[in-house]
Amino acid sequence: MSLAVGSGPQPQPVVEARGVTKAYGHVQALGGVDFAVYPGETVALVGDNGAGKSTLIKILCGALQPDSGRLYVGGEEAHFASPRDARLRGISVVYQDLALVENFDVAHNVFLGRAPVRFGRVDRRRMAQETTTVLTELTVELPSVRTPVRFLSGGQRQAVAIARAVHQGGRLLIMDEPTAALGVQEGTKVLQLIEGLKSRDLAIVVVSHNLEHVFAVADRIVVLRGGKVAGSRAKAGSTHSDIVHMIVGADVGGAA
Amino acid sequence: MTGIAHRSARTNAETREAVKRFFRTGSIFIALALLWTALAFASPYFFTQQNILNILLQSSTVGILAAGVTLVLIAGEIDISVASVQALAATVSATVIITHDGSVALGIAAGILVAVVAGSLNGYATIYARIPSFIVTLAMLGIAQGAAFLVTGGQAIGEFPHSYGVLGQGKVGPVPVPVIIAGAVYLVLHLLLSQTPFGLNVYAVGGSRNASRLAGLRIERTIMTVFVISGALSGLAGIILSARLDAAHGSFGASDLLDAVAAVVIGGTSLFGGAGGVIGTLGGVVIISTIRNGLVLLNVEAFWTQVVVGGVILVAVLLDQMFKGELAPRDLVPGLRRA
Repeated sequence: MSLAVGSGPQPQPVVEARGVTKAYGHVQALGGVDFAVYPGETVALVGDNGAGKSTLIKILCGALQPDSGRLYVGGEEAHFASPRDARLRGISVVYQDLALVENFDVAHNVFLGRAPVRFGRVDRRRMAQETTTVLTELTVELPSVRTPVRFLSGGQRQAVAIARAVHQGGRLLIMDEPTAALGVQEGTKVLQLIEGLKSRDLAIVVVSHNLEHVFAVADRIVVLRGGKVAGSRAKAGSTHSDIVHMIVGADVGGAA
Repeated sequence: MTGIAHRSARTNAETREAVKRFFRTGSIFIALALLWTALAFASPYFFTQQNILNILLQSSTVGILAAGVTLVLIAGEIDISVASVQALAATVSATVIITHDGSVALGIAAGILVAVVAGSLNGYATIYARIPSFIVTLAMLGIAQGAAFLVTGGQAIGEFPHSYGVLGQGKVGPVPVPVIIAGAVYLVLHLLLSQTPFGLNVYAVGGSRNASRLAGLRIERTIMTVFVISGALSGLAGIILSARLDAAHGSFGASDLLDAVAAVVIGGTSLFGGAGGVIGTLGGVVIISTIRNGLVLLNVEAFWTQVVVGGVILVAVLLDQMFKGELAPRDLVPGLRRA
């Protein structure tokens, strides 16, 4: 699953950010970040609070616009004025707050903003069928696709949000803190879900505080510190403490 | 890992939800039936075809206003300018007809146009100036009301051509034309809300603005559209009202805002957006008109109607809160309030 490094031509990144900066007033949230995701890999984006993870993610999904720097999708330069633009270029996002409509049932949330229409009418049967299909593929157990999401648990909601992103399709799936709000059991279930997504033709970026979870799903770990990339490591051959050192900025000596 | 349960297997929560929803809308019509039964016993004149058609006729213009308010509320905004815009559309339409040799089409077009402009301004100020729609439409309430008086110089004007009068006074068989128009408005809006992607967007935008934005919905367009529809419906109501009364004056429909909002609230549309529908509002409108009609038949002084309608708003919201389990009777006694 890890990239062939060194030999052969480097494959084209699915999505790439080059020299991206972003400031909020006097606070420099990102100070020139280069970040690329390659086909089929799962990248974990880690860093301390305020390291710039959220800002970078929001730029990649069109919710924020960078002050300078460029974005490339499949090698072509891209400008995202809104999340809609990013979605149209194949970038799907599972937001930390999930962005679900509480009153809507599972199927309506999966199809939020994309309802299929037949003879001018919303095709609810197709919505239910396709939602059932995608949930089954993801081996997610839910009471019914007609259940309003406000009756679902945190893990089930997370699954609905992931199902929506998967159903949208596209080439990159970004997940912002998918396990942060969950208990141990539900967190584990969501990790299994992410593991299952790897068999799809998808690149995945997972933002997480939880190194345990990061090591469970990532192929590669990118560390942000103070708005810059502190390093990028293949999971194979890295240890927790390597990553922790990169996060906090301590010298990577053996004397720990 | 098995797949999810089959679609036909409903969960308890889901069944409860469906039952609740049915009773919430159904209860309005049950209340209406009880009201009609009581009045039928109280007055021999109540349950006659003429009187029932009269109630429906009284319901029609307020109902058209209330339908617009319902749409705006579901989208998470509010429009309290509907009755004033109705008055403005009525006076503009009347003035144009009278000053242009009885050109009915031109008058109707002018009335609808001015109402649509008012609705667009409401939408524009809410979306782009980011002023809460309560304030925006309160301002529009004042502007449109004042403009309605100014258009006719404070006078009542009237005597329209027959083709205009038909809109308010005509009948198809025994059924008044305004009732038919209002019925068509409700049918169209119900289908729009329940069957079209636009309707889904209205519920989504009112249910969660954030989720809608992140899902790429065109929130601004949706909100603008509901305000424009609400404006256009106010214009339509104004035209029907002036045609029915064969006159237009800035004060016409002065109590309609109270009745329209009361109807929407009784009808169970959420004041916080994202839930409700025009069917409930329809029941609410007829209940309000029935109360007005019943008080007249029972020889109650006319001023009482506003008191009663105001009270009904409070009771309806109270019952709704209790129904949803958000309020228990003991909460109403300050000393017993749960911590």
